[in-house]
This record gives sequence, structure tokens and C-alpha cells, in this order.
Amino acid sequence: MIYQLVKKETREILRDPVILGVAIVLPVIMLFLFGYAISLDVDDVSMAVYDQDRSQESARLIDAFVGSGYFTIEHYLDSPGQVDRVLDKGEASIVLAVPPDFSRDVNLGKRTEVQVIIDGSFSATALIVSNYAASVVNRYTEDLLDRRGEAAAGTIGINPRVWYNPPLKSVNYIVPGLFAVLLMAFPPMLTALSIVREKERGTIEQIYVSPVSPSAFIAGKVIPYSVIAFFEMVLILAIGTLWFRIPFKGSVPLLIGISLIYVLTTVSIGLFVSTITRTQFQAMFLSLIVTLMPSFLFSGFLFPIATMPYMLQLYTYVFPARYFNDISRDIFLKGVGLEYFIGNAVLLIIYGSALFIAASLKFKKKVA
Amino acid sequence: MQRLFAATRKEFLQFSRDWLLVIFIIWLYTVEVIICTYALSFDVRNLSLAVYDQDRSQMSQELIERFTATDYFGETVFVSGPGEIDFLLDSGRADIGISLPPDFSGAVRTGESVEVQVILSGVNSNTASIARGYAEAIITRFSQEAAAERARGRSDIADAPVVIPQIRIWYNPDLKFRYFMVVSMIVVAGVFVGLIHAVATMVREKETGTMEQLVLTPLKGHELIAAKLVPTFTIGLLSLLPSLGIALWFGVPLRGSVLLFFLASAINLFSSAGIGIYISTLSRNLQQGLLISFFILFPMMFLSGTMVPIESMPMPLQYLSYLSPVRYYMEITLGIFLKGVGLSVLWPEFLLLFAFGAVIFPVGLWHLRRGIYR
Repeated sequence: MIYQLVKKETREILRDPVILGVAIVLPVIMLFLFGYAISLDVDDVSMAVYDQDRSQESARLIDAFVGSGYFTIEHYLDSPGQVDRVLDKGEASIVLAVPPDFSRDVNLGKRTEVQVIIDGSFSATALIVSNYAASVVNRYTEDLLDRRGEAAAGTIGINPRVWYNPPLKSVNYIVPGLFAVLLMAFPPMLTALSIVREKERGTIEQIYVSPVSPSAFIAGKVIPYSVIAFFEMVLILAIGTLWFRIPFKGSVPLLIGISLIYVLTTVSIGLFVSTITRTQFQAMFLSLIVTLMPSFLFSGFLFPIATMPYMLQLYTYVFPARYFNDISRDIFLKGVGLEYFIGNAVLLIIYGSALFIAASLKFKKKVA
Repeated sequence: MQRLFAATRKEFLQFSRDWLLVIFIIWLYTVEVIICTYALSFDVRNLSLAVYDQDRSQMSQELIERFTATDYFGETVFVSGPGEIDFLLDSGRADIGISLPPDFSGAVRTGESVEVQVILSGVNSNTASIARGYAEAIITRFSQEAAAERARGRSDIADAPVVIPQIRIWYNPDLKFRYFMVVSMIVVAGVFVGLIHAVATMVREKETGTMEQLVLTPLKGHELIAAKLVPTFTIGLLSLLPSLGIALWFGVPLRGSVLLFFLASAINLFSSAGIGIYISTLSRNLQQGLLISFFILFPMMFLSGTMVPIESMPMPLQYLSYLSPVRYYMEITLGIFLKGVGLSVLWPEFLLLFAFGAVIFPVGLWHLRRGIYR
């Protein structure tokens, strides 16, 4: 019986290019967009220079900015009014203003200030840009002292080492997190829509009067979408490791085993959504609120959970993406074993089975 | 006119009867905006620190206190071997490790070069690169102060010139991510509701077969579409009010003109609804309509600068972003809210946003007519 239902559902999915598109093509598009575009690191900051000194010394300072590789000079300005204008129009995100007596002060050995004005609209990037600017000016000072033979002897060197992701490539942390996101973003919504559609069209009544048991009906819906989700995951894993060349440090069977539990959990959420809503439009909105948006925003995928207010950190535990995101990154990047994330794994199993049972019971009650 | 009024009334009735949907939309514009604004930021705070201090001197203490005195670093664990740092990073209990060599204080006092090791967990590369910046800044300042201290001891060195960067941040001086978040959420919700609602009202009639009935009424084609879209516009514009309230609550400055913002939102709804109508002509049923919407919405949102700045994307994607109308709406909204600029600066974005709608809307209508009145 279940086999027949799965076959029927599979045929329906295969017949609809849109479902397959959303289930398979969209995740791949997103993988590429996220893989290439999510990075707060800026290496081509558009810069404007308001040089009131126009000396050899100020040219050296400007060269230091260009030479750092982080900044590209787009405009040279002649008046303070232009500073406002380039920032307002977004033509530059950083302005360097060199005071008129810059070279004189430097040659006299005085402390001198240069002004750096940064567009703070996107605070995260502004922060990184301001760090870059400060370090360029510091390096210029050191170079200046060096040229005058007053090298600041005995500096404390810094030897930064980055673990798990030494080149600090964002794609290395985006892709392992993307599993958690994509497996929760689309499979539950597809499941919910496919069940609610039968409700809306009234074809579900036919199921009720047929000898199909509720659990068989649920299985018939859950299995095909879980298979799709699983296929989605293998595809992302393949592109992530082969195309983006992300080092996979842990154990593949472990990741696959846990992701099976995860997929079952997310599809159960879809099942649950379908028991609450009556129309597809409602089901879509509810899926958006309980699966799609949280999977992006509250899973730790992009936004770190540690900086959230405490109450909202608790809120993130409501969504299984949070557990799986941690597990997936642990396996992928750190290569640690089950003993490091056993807590998350147990929570995920409890969560998934509780949800599946609750959704099935709710569904059965409705039938009866 | 009367016909139009009656048809509009029907659409509103249909909408308000679906109270669950109304709740969801209100939720999206209010609760979701508040939660996201409170929770989400790229700020780096409270990183847990693992310190392997092999020097155990007053000076090494001082340097470590420089770290813990900031908001960026929180809980500090002192370890007694390099292996422990490994373990703390592996288990996620520390985000950053600092290792000070045994001869640290001696070297600093005599002016020899000495190296401090900073170990970062790069799992979240954004956090890591910001944290590295902080760590370098703290250590560099410590080093410069130590050098000044040494120089003071010797009178043979004259004042060394030092150039100090005076950094000022405009539009958002405290670098609050919240400002950006609120603006971005308002833009996303506006585009989403405008597009999806247009798709849903069109396809629903198609699926239930009532579109034919509507066509048979004396209602003219453009009246039918106008009646369908009036609720979309009304909801889209009305729901901005609670969002504006939330923006005020979070202290987001609204430096520009509210009127201009509403104008931009209306134009945005026009182009979003245009896309919606077009999608509705492509789909056979509501499920397809909603899924195609997602298919189009995602790249469109992604390439709009509502999630990450367009500037930090690779060049090809930056060019692609010009195709996303959301990009213009976002730039306008950011400009009005944070920069307080008006039409004199934003007119190109206004023009492009309108042009997008002016192209896609008639195309959608044309397809729709062909579909219905064939």
C-alpha cells in the first residue's frame, strides 16, 4: 500500500518541473550565490581622497592605502562639500582627508592626525574597513620611522594562526551550514504544500474514505520528499567538496547518518504545518515563518548565536537547524567525532521523533 | 466606477475572511522584524578566550587585561599547556587562543623583538577576521606604548613623528547593525508581500475556475486587475506603519522624508506586483505559483544588498545585481533612513525602480490577457 502511494506521489513530483526545480535547481543556485557572494571581507573598497597638503609625504600615505590592496581610489576631491556628496551618493565608502600642514608636521616630528571617514550603513563591513585603515596608517608610521632611522625597536610581533579554515574563506563555513539551511528551507514546505493541496482540492476526502490508513498516507508523502531532500544534500556535498574544494575532515557515514535523522525531522515540521493550515497560501506563509526564515536566520548559519540576547538564544533551540548546523560544521571543518557533539545529536533525535509522533497523531485524529 | 468598487470590495472581503493569513502577514511585519532586529548582528562580542601565559608576569597580565577589558572578549580560561588550547577550540568552548612566550616581559622591557601567538577558530570566517583585527589592534597599541615607555627612559631620542588615524563613522556612528537590519527587513517584507500576494490572488481564481466567471461579468479587463491589486497595494502600504513604529522604537534615525519613503514603497509594490502577475501567468496552479515565486525571489533578494553588501560580491554578481529591483528599493530606503538624502541624490534609483515596473507590469498584463480572453 505504502509503495503504491509513494509511487503515485513520485509520479506527481516528476511530472511537475517546478517542484523539481525548487527541490534541486534552487539549492544549487543558492549554493553558488552563497559560496561566492557571502563575505563581509572587502578587498576593493572604493575610496575618495581629499588631499589638502599635496606633498610628497601625503602622496606616500595615499600610496600606502593603494599598496595595501584593500582600497581603490575612485575620486580625488577638492572641497569638504564633495566629501559629503561622494558618501551620500555611495560613490565611495571611505574618505581619507589629509590636513594642509601634514608634511610640515611630519617633518617637524609632531603628532599628526589624518581623518578617515567611513560609511557605516553596513556596520559589519565598516568595522573591517576601519581596521584596515588603521593598520595602513600604522604601517605608514612605522615605515616613516624606518626611513628616518628611528626604527621602533623591539616591537611585539603578532603571529596569528587560524584553525579549521586557515584562508578564512567564507565558503568554507557557508557550505557546511548550507546543509542545515536547505534541508529545512524547502522539503518541509514542499511536503506541507502537497498535503494541503489535497485538502484544498478535496481529494483528501477520497483518501479518508479509501482503505488507506493515515500512517500509510503520511508515509506516502514523507518518503518521496525525504528522498528528494537526501538527494539535495548529496548534491551539495559533491559540489562543495569537488567544485569549491572545501576540505572535508570528518566521517562521511556519520554526516549522512545524522542528516537522515535531520531530514525526517524537517519533513515532520512540514507535516505539522499541513495539519494546522487549510489553504496552500496559509501553509506557505506558516512554512516561511517556522522553517524557511529560521533556518537562515536562527541556525547560526550566517549570524552567530553567541551574540544574541539570552532569551533569543533560547529561541534558536526551537528550530532543529541549530543543532544540525553545529554538528555539520563540527564534522566538516573540525573533523571531530560523535563524542564532541553527542548532546546536539541526542537533542535532534528526541526532537525529530517527538515531532513525527505528534504530527501523525494530530493527523489521525482528524481522520477519525 | 461602481463595478470597480464592487469588485474591489469582493477582493477585500475575500482577504479579510482568511484571518489566519492576515495573522501571518502581520507577524511577518512586526514580530519577525522585532525578533530579527534584536537577535541578528554581525557584531563580534563575548568571544571566549583561552590564554596560555608562559611568562606569568605583571606585564603579561596587563596585556591580557587589555583583551578582557573590551566587550569583544568575554570569558577567559587560563590553561597550562598548548594541548589544552587545542581541546578548547575543538570543543567550541573557546573562540580565540593567546599564547605568550616565557620571556615575554623581559623582551618587552629591553626592547627585543618578541612574538605573541594568536590562534583563532576560523569556523565563522567573518567573526574570525574581525576578531583578528581587534587582537592586532590591542597588541599593536600595547607595543607602541611599551616603546614610548622605553624611549622616555632614554633622552637621546627626540620626539618621533606619529601619524594617528582619526576614524569617524558616518550615518551610523555607533556601528549598530540594528539600523541596517530594520531597514533590510522592511524592504524584504515589502517585496515579499507585494509579489506573493499578487501571485496568490491571480492564481487562486485560475485554480478554482472562478476566473472564467469573473471574465463573464460586465467587469472590464483592466478593472478586474485593478480590483485584484488594490488590496495588494493597501496591505503593502498599511503594513509599513507598524514597521515604521518598530524602526522608531529601535532608535533607527529617519533622517529623510517619510513621504518619499512611501512613494518609493508604492513604486516598489508596482514592480513587485508586476513580477507577481507575470509569474501567475506561468503557473498552472497555486503550488506552482508559490514555488516559482520563491525561485525568483531568492536570487532577487540575494543580489539586492539586503543580506550582504553588494560591494563585497565578486564583479559578475555585482553586475547581475543591477537586474534586481530590490537593489534600488534598498538603496533608496537606506538613503532616506540613514543618510537623510532626497530625490536630488536618489533620482537614478527611483527612475530605475520605476522603469523596472514599467517594463514588467505591461508584459505581465499582456500575458494575462492572452491567457484569459483567448
